[in-house]
Amino acid sequence: MKNFKLFVLAGVAAISLQAGEIKVIANPSVGAAAISADDLKRVFLGTRSSLADGSHVEPVLAKTGPAHEAFLKEYLGKTDGALTTYYRSLVFTGKGAMPKTLSSDEEIVSYVAKTRGAIGYVGAKTAATGVKELGVK
Amino acid sequence: MKNRIVQSILIASALCTAPVVLQAQLGQFSLEGHTFQLHGFASQGYAVSNQNNFLTMQTSKGSFAFTDGGLNLSTSLTDKFRVGAQGYLRNVGQLGGGRLSLDWAFGDYRFADWFGIRAGKVKTPLGLFNDTQDAESLHTWALLPQSVYPLDLRSSTIAHVGGDIYGQLALRKAGSIDYTVYGGARPNDRRSGYYFNTQDTGVPIRTFTGKIVGSDVRWNTPVAGLMAGMSFLDEMDHINGTYIAAGNAPYLLDSSPLHMTSAYVDYSRGKLRVNGEFRRNKKVERFNLFGNQSALNFSDKGWFVTGAYRVTRQLELGAYHSHYRVDVPQTADPAGNHLFDTTLTARYDLTRWWNVKVEGHFMDGHGDLYSAHGFYLRSNPTGIGPTTNLLVIRTGFYF
Repeated sequence: MKNFKLFVLAGVAAISLQAGEIKVIANPSVGAAAISADDLKRVFLGTRSSLADGSHVEPVLAKTGPAHEAFLKEYLGKTDGALTTYYRSLVFTGKGAMPKTLSSDEEIVSYVAKTRGAIGYVGAKTAATGVKELGVK
Repeated sequence: MKNRIVQSILIASALCTAPVVLQAQLGQFSLEGHTFQLHGFASQGYAVSNQNNFLTMQTSKGSFAFTDGGLNLSTSLTDKFRVGAQGYLRNVGQLGGGRLSLDWAFGDYRFADWFGIRAGKVKTPLGLFNDTQDAESLHTWALLPQSVYPLDLRSSTIAHVGGDIYGQLALRKAGSIDYTVYGGARPNDRRSGYYFNTQDTGVPIRTFTGKIVGSDVRWNTPVAGLMAGMSFLDEMDHINGTYIAAGNAPYLLDSSPLHMTSAYVDYSRGKLRVNGEFRRNKKVERFNLFGNQSALNFSDKGWFVTGAYRVTRQLELGAYHSHYRVDVPQTADPAGNHLFDTTLTARYDLTRWWNVKVEGHFMDGHGDLYSAHGFYLRSNPTGIGPTTNLLVIRTGFYF
């Protein structure tokens, strides 16, 4: 029984650690220093295109990887397949565009650094040169 | 028959190979400082039934006449202003006739997240799937529940030429509400069920016009994955036709208005997705022939419940029950006022942009022949049996 409890605790810790290893980054044009989890979700679902300070924002996603999986689970509550289906429903009805998706953390940092209003996520240990880190409230 | 099969295969091949090429080259490109997105979808199906021909296909012999596809181009002109358009064609039995039509084309100005305007030809939000019903990749099913989303009547509600006001209201801990209010002119598709049905019953339509107004409100509840909504649509139909039995006398038919009400709920958690919808249609039809007017109350209702589970990354299994009943006095044909359908589906995603679905339908009833719902006299000239078992295999591509 004791071993089982330790196993469960270890599992929970591993999941939390994975979620904690993400950082949300933004182009320096984004005025806010932090964003609420609800607003972050709305930005990535395309229903929010500006923040409270008036900054225009647009999401940037990773194609795959642990940061991507953790971000979906922690902030969007959707599987990768469900998220893709959601974006396609916007695209095929004309009510939204497919967001930018990139293959690596380095590509995301580089794109966010040079694109006005871009918001993305990368692994916590990724060097984030030229971007600002957004706190998630 | 052979020509139709060859034609279907050629159309499907063209539609299916185009996305593969386009995906690599044209998914996104820049022109004059603007980034354009090009997306599309195409599907090809095969349907075979034990008896009764369904959706104007010769399903009792097995039919490949089940093809559709769409291609769209869009761009953001500013941070707040988007424009785009989509062409769509379908060849489902006699439905659509394989002709390209403008599916949607509009400008969308979002003043704020809670307030935006769309103007042009806009897809109509009505229930869970009305505006997305053509894109099969978005759904588990090869055929959506026909009680609420009849493929043959699709074009009567699919879009409107007019405008929308829309937005999302954040409710903090209570979730958020997406709303759309719209109005405009209904589409007029001469290769759709209403035209075929009236031709088959001796009262062919010449013109079918009308205005619609409606609204859709959906609540993204604080419970993760749970959404509930309601839609209302009022359609003022105006039909000109001829009554063949009365020497091709012209008639007018007005319904003022047709009230459509829909209530729906959707829940997804991890690999599981369940949803359901109830739809009620009600109208008073005023029929004018030789200057004499008569009125007829008409109503029908449909509902469905579905459940789907993603077993592996590639494989999804699902089932639904779909229930349609038209409120007409019971006739000598007990199968003539309803259509119930229990369906089992397996969807397999071969890649991120290609799927195959295998689906079995077990149908009881065939609906009212004067208010067709999938079964037509033109494709069933010797009569329609009370039950139909239908196998549908459908593959879809998208990018």
